[in-house]
Amino acid sequence: MFAAGGINGALGRALLLIGIVGSLFGAIAAITSARQRDQAVAKLVPRFALLVFGASVGAFAVMERAMITRDYSLAYVQKVGSNSTPALYNFAAVWSALEGSILMWVLILAGYTLAVAYWLRKKMDDVLSRYALGVMFIVSLFFFVLSFGPANPFGSGEPGVFDGPGPNPLLQNHLLVMFHPPLLYLGYVGMTVPFAFAIAALVTGRVGEGWLLATRRWTLFAWGFLTLGIILGSWWSYEVLGWSGVWAWDPVENASLLPWITATAYIHSVLVQERRGMLRVWNLSLLVATFSLTILGTFLTRSGVLNSVHAFSESPIGPWLLAFFAVIVVVSVGLIGWRGDRLHSPGSIDSPLSREGAFLANNVLFSVFAFVVLLGTVFPLVVEALQDRTIIVGEPFFDRLTIPIGITMLTIMAIAPVLPWRKASQELLLTRLFWPAWCGVLALAGSVLVGATGFAPLLTFAMGGFAAGSALRQVVLATRRQGLRGLVGRANGGMIVHLGVIVISVALAASNSFTHSQELNLEVGKVASFSGHTFELVEVVEEKTERVFSVKARVIVDGGKAYAPAIARYLKQGMTVGTPSVRTGLASDVYLTLEPPVRPGSDTARIKVFIKPLLLWLWIGGGLMALGTVLAAFPGRRRKPTAPTSDDGIDDVLVML
Amino acid sequence: MSNAASVKNKWTWLLLTLVAIALLVFGGTRDTGPKTQSDRIDAITKVIACPTCQGESVYVSRASAAESIRAEVARQVASGQKTDDEIVAFMEARFGSRVLLVPRSTGLDALVWVLPVFALVCALGTLVFAFRRWSVSGSSTVSDADIEMVEQALRDAE
Repeated sequence: MFAAGGINGALGRALLLIGIVGSLFGAIAAITSARQRDQAVAKLVPRFALLVFGASVGAFAVMERAMITRDYSLAYVQKVGSNSTPALYNFAAVWSALEGSILMWVLILAGYTLAVAYWLRKKMDDVLSRYALGVMFIVSLFFFVLSFGPANPFGSGEPGVFDGPGPNPLLQNHLLVMFHPPLLYLGYVGMTVPFAFAIAALVTGRVGEGWLLATRRWTLFAWGFLTLGIILGSWWSYEVLGWSGVWAWDPVENASLLPWITATAYIHSVLVQERRGMLRVWNLSLLVATFSLTILGTFLTRSGVLNSVHAFSESPIGPWLLAFFAVIVVVSVGLIGWRGDRLHSPGSIDSPLSREGAFLANNVLFSVFAFVVLLGTVFPLVVEALQDRTIIVGEPFFDRLTIPIGITMLTIMAIAPVLPWRKASQELLLTRLFWPAWCGVLALAGSVLVGATGFAPLLTFAMGGFAAGSALRQVVLATRRQGLRGLVGRANGGMIVHLGVIVISVALAASNSFTHSQELNLEVGKVASFSGHTFELVEVVEEKTERVFSVKARVIVDGGKAYAPAIARYLKQGMTVGTPSVRTGLASDVYLTLEPPVRPGSDTARIKVFIKPLLLWLWIGGGLMALGTVLAAFPGRRRKPTAPTSDDGIDDVLVML
Repeated sequence: MSNAASVKNKWTWLLLTLVAIALLVFGGTRDTGPKTQSDRIDAITKVIACPTCQGESVYVSRASAAESIRAEVARQVASGQKTDDEIVAFMEARFGSRVLLVPRSTGLDALVWVLPVFALVCALGTLVFAFRRWSVSGSSTVSDADIEMVEQALRDAE
């Protein structure tokens, strides 16, 4: 078995096997030492984490080596490798199909396990630490088995193959393919850590607040990367796919969005638990939901049950993932039920008009949001199963339902940050919201003035302005009080994240609602104009390499620089891919695509022009979200926790001062 | 805050609200002129699925089947005889319901529209119920024994 597939195959499989054994023993050591309170065995646990991590790094390195040396003895290299793929895309080709991406999952999960083990190295005498690591090892065991069994990238290929097709052309024409998948996975897989602690807390019965505070940064870390990964994915879609959009509600996109939604809900509602000791069951459920949605999403998109542009391969991992998902849900729900008595929280929420009340409203919205996305994603499966008919739940469905949710979220985002804990008077609320409301009305007036129309986009701009005013008020007050320290910490960093979200919402509303497009038949020497821009064709040129045959139309936009939308034929795959060319600007992007048929050397070309207002602000907003997440991870001003029982008035007086 | 200031504040709020509503109504309903043909083509192709692709709209897809549907939509828009809905209906008649990106609101498909509303109602209901329970457990009720005790204490004090 180890001889087939050459040295890389044998080495890779051996390393995966070491990973399986290491994870198994790590799990056994962690859990037995936790059950029998055995200190000596507990000391071994971090070593297993190191072993497992070493095995995963080794396996990934072997795969890279096989890809770089074009070792066609491996079936996977035959599938995604090619002699003519440029080095960078060849490096990224490792995660361009199912087996390789599961291998990357294994690597990142092992990395997290080691990081958690290192973090807990001085807390291994705590039983909760051992259980948490035990859960991490069990999850790694599953993924190592998945990678060794049904999704093995080290399987040997047909003999006599000396070249391959290379990765999907869409995955070898933009640098973002180097960054989007690893960052997304850092977020996706990172959700295992808070899940492991949730399970450990349930098993030990220590469902108090300690473990929550402890894992807060882990969750934030994973959430930040998930955010970044999703935004980079949208950017990739915009730069590569040629329809000028950033989000298509494709099942794979939805699969990455679902855990993001539940994790975002958690990041908010956990604050209620920290301050008031409430919502324990709910928070645990959100963590379990987040982790299980990563597994369910992988199942839906990688097993071939749903059609998706990302489903580059179908494979037998479906039943494995579904079974694992079922185990997670049953075990978690069982544990929550078993610990039900300890989960009952003291205290109550005094008034809906309070910080906690706003967090609850936020959670209701996020839950409905997650439900809508999940429903839209799996509904075609339901119809197919019940009535044997194919239907599509497409972008218009998601747009119609999520836009009202988004606008309501912006509204809550405007009100929540100014609300005190416990209870707010109407007077206080009106006073604090005075300037933010002005911002909202000014934003609305400004957008009406520049010609925006339609209720939904106008409401988005108004509520965006309102929420931005509220976030800025908070930042200004904090920096006035504490100087630059007013920018760090959870509350202040969180406001920067809010600003990023608002910028993104406004950019999405503007670019979706006010995109104009037009096909132009350009001729060399003649200036065409559309929507206030001029376009002049310079030439239509061809470029041919061993890998691609591409035709570019060089077009001068507004008399300035030339942009070159292209159509490229990837010779090995026989696939034609359009490559757009974009002139970015703060006010609007000019997005050009070359439309078939194209004739090199011709003095005419058909170009499609999209004018996308404010699109650049999507990426700026993404940057703000990332910055805010980093700021939020630093410890902020220390606060005294609010007592779980009410003592009306005192809090209000304090916040009024 | 003095009383006069808070009254003034309330008037400003009223004014802000009225201005916002007026702007929304004006901006939301104003006529921006007839839609261009290109805008109509975009709007129509966004709700038609490309029959050979997997769930992408004709607007999104670069496949040749999508190109030909786009060309057909463009032709029908240019001829100016059909409304947007009629063109979509034409495409449905020609290719079947699998080219519809928007689920229908009849039969089983209607569930996809109804369930989110149901979920929202349930979630809000749970929230209202929770607040009810909290407000009951939070504010203690006064029993006859309590009143008796207080009265006794007051009598003793006299």
